[in-house]
Amino acid sequence: MIIYLVIFLAVLVLWVISVYNFFVSSRTRIKASIQEIGNQLKRQADLIPNLEESVKGYLGHEKGIFEELTNARKAISQASKSGDVGKMADAGKMLSEVLPKIQVVVESNPELKGAEVVTNLMDELRDTSDKVMYARRLLIDLTADFNVKRVTFPSSLVANLFKISEQEGLNAPEKGEHLEVSESDTKTPKVNL
Amino acid sequence: MIVMLNIYEAERANKIKSIIVVAGFIVFVGLTVYVLSQALGYYWGYQVGGLGGVGLALIISGLISYGGYYFSDRIVLTISGAKEANRKEYFDFYTVSENLAIGAGLPKPKLYVIDDSAPNAFATGRDPKHAVICATTGLIDKLSRTELEGVLAHELSHVRNYDTRLQSLVAVMVGLIALLGDWLLRARLWGGRDRDRNDNQLGSIILVLGIVFAILSPIIAQLIQLAISRRREFMADTGSVALTRQPGGLISALEKISKDTEPLEVANKATAHLYIINPFKGVNDPEHRRGVDRFASLFNTHPPIEERLKALYDMSYEKPHKG
Repeated sequence: MIIYLVIFLAVLVLWVISVYNFFVSSRTRIKASIQEIGNQLKRQADLIPNLEESVKGYLGHEKGIFEELTNARKAISQASKSGDVGKMADAGKMLSEVLPKIQVVVESNPELKGAEVVTNLMDELRDTSDKVMYARRLLIDLTADFNVKRVTFPSSLVANLFKISEQEGLNAPEKGEHLEVSESDTKTPKVNL
Repeated sequence: MIVMLNIYEAERANKIKSIIVVAGFIVFVGLTVYVLSQALGYYWGYQVGGLGGVGLALIISGLISYGGYYFSDRIVLTISGAKEANRKEYFDFYTVSENLAIGAGLPKPKLYVIDDSAPNAFATGRDPKHAVICATTGLIDKLSRTELEGVLAHELSHVRNYDTRLQSLVAVMVGLIALLGDWLLRARLWGGRDRDRNDNQLGSIILVLGIVFAILSPIIAQLIQLAISRRREFMADTGSVALTRQPGGLISALEKISKDTEPLEVANKATAHLYIINPFKGVNDPEHRRGVDRFASLFNTHPPIEERLKALYDMSYEKPHKG
């Protein structure tokens, strides 16, 4: 009889340990995935000066793009230093807005389009955007796993026992511009071909 | 009617089905090994003999498969004549794999290219740290970046699900049953000790049962092995969508690959189950399959392409094309 009790207790303790270890290790992985986002953003920021250099002469009257690029780069390197996930997301977005504009410039200049340096740079930048996206996806998935385990039975018992708090993940703000629909958003976009 | 499946539900359903198939396999192996060892023990005259036979068969089968498992990456790569992919030459292949590995939280797998114009890809390696993803030049040339993303995410899901490990374990079990069955049939042919035991009724029941199992179980074991392989393909498809969140990429890639009529020259029966799509083209051709369909599909390493597409469409907003 006693022996069954001992076995039961041993299994129970092992289970508690494994659940606790899940929470602790995935917290570390979440932290690492935030750093990964910062890393990729930094790589993106480092690529921008090269891009600026090679398309400089062709931007002509579209000097605005140049400014936007510089701003995006500043925002990105600041965000990647700060380690703040919200800032990182915003900075990444700034760049993804400028890139298509440069793409248009590149497409309309046969000389630029033919230059291998420029196409390589554009490929690299787009690839880095993908990397940022995937790094964020990992953060989202890990956070979701963590939070689901935290609230579902029976792992919730362990979470309560050790007072494990919810992970914020990407922490999209609940109020803000991105949730509002302005009038211009509701109109069908015009596409000139 | 379009059934929209949430990707988490789809992953869960797939996992449960896979567990059921594998559990069924384990039960079947246990039962077969028990019956065969009883019958063998009867032939060899003592119970321990049967168990010893099981041990010996397990060791032999294990050794054969373990080599294949432990060196899976190197063996397959040597057979297929693949060479390592560099970032500059295969930019999309390299960077997409890199990105997906970031998304899956896995180390970047080693990447190889086979010089063959038939579009196909496979993954192998004993664990994520030794994972290898291999693509043909045909795949890299014919697919867009998004389609490539779908295919490579499918392969990376195989890596994440430890499919090479599972298939090797299953192969050990199939080998074990085949060996035991073979020995029992041989023992019968050579006589053994059964002549002076014919009066024992229980013994003769065990013997008849043993012989039936010896003849049928290797085939059944192989059929279950193939069923597991097909289940894991569905699982990898779902895993691919979970990783990329765009079923469209894998859908159009599968449609493109299955319409391609070129056979893959370097594939053979031993490596067929590894590829994203069965490399022997006849099996993917609906015209060819119609006559023999249901029965023949039991012997396939991959589920029919239409069933895979249907499962993928269930996860996406797109509707299947007609015709």
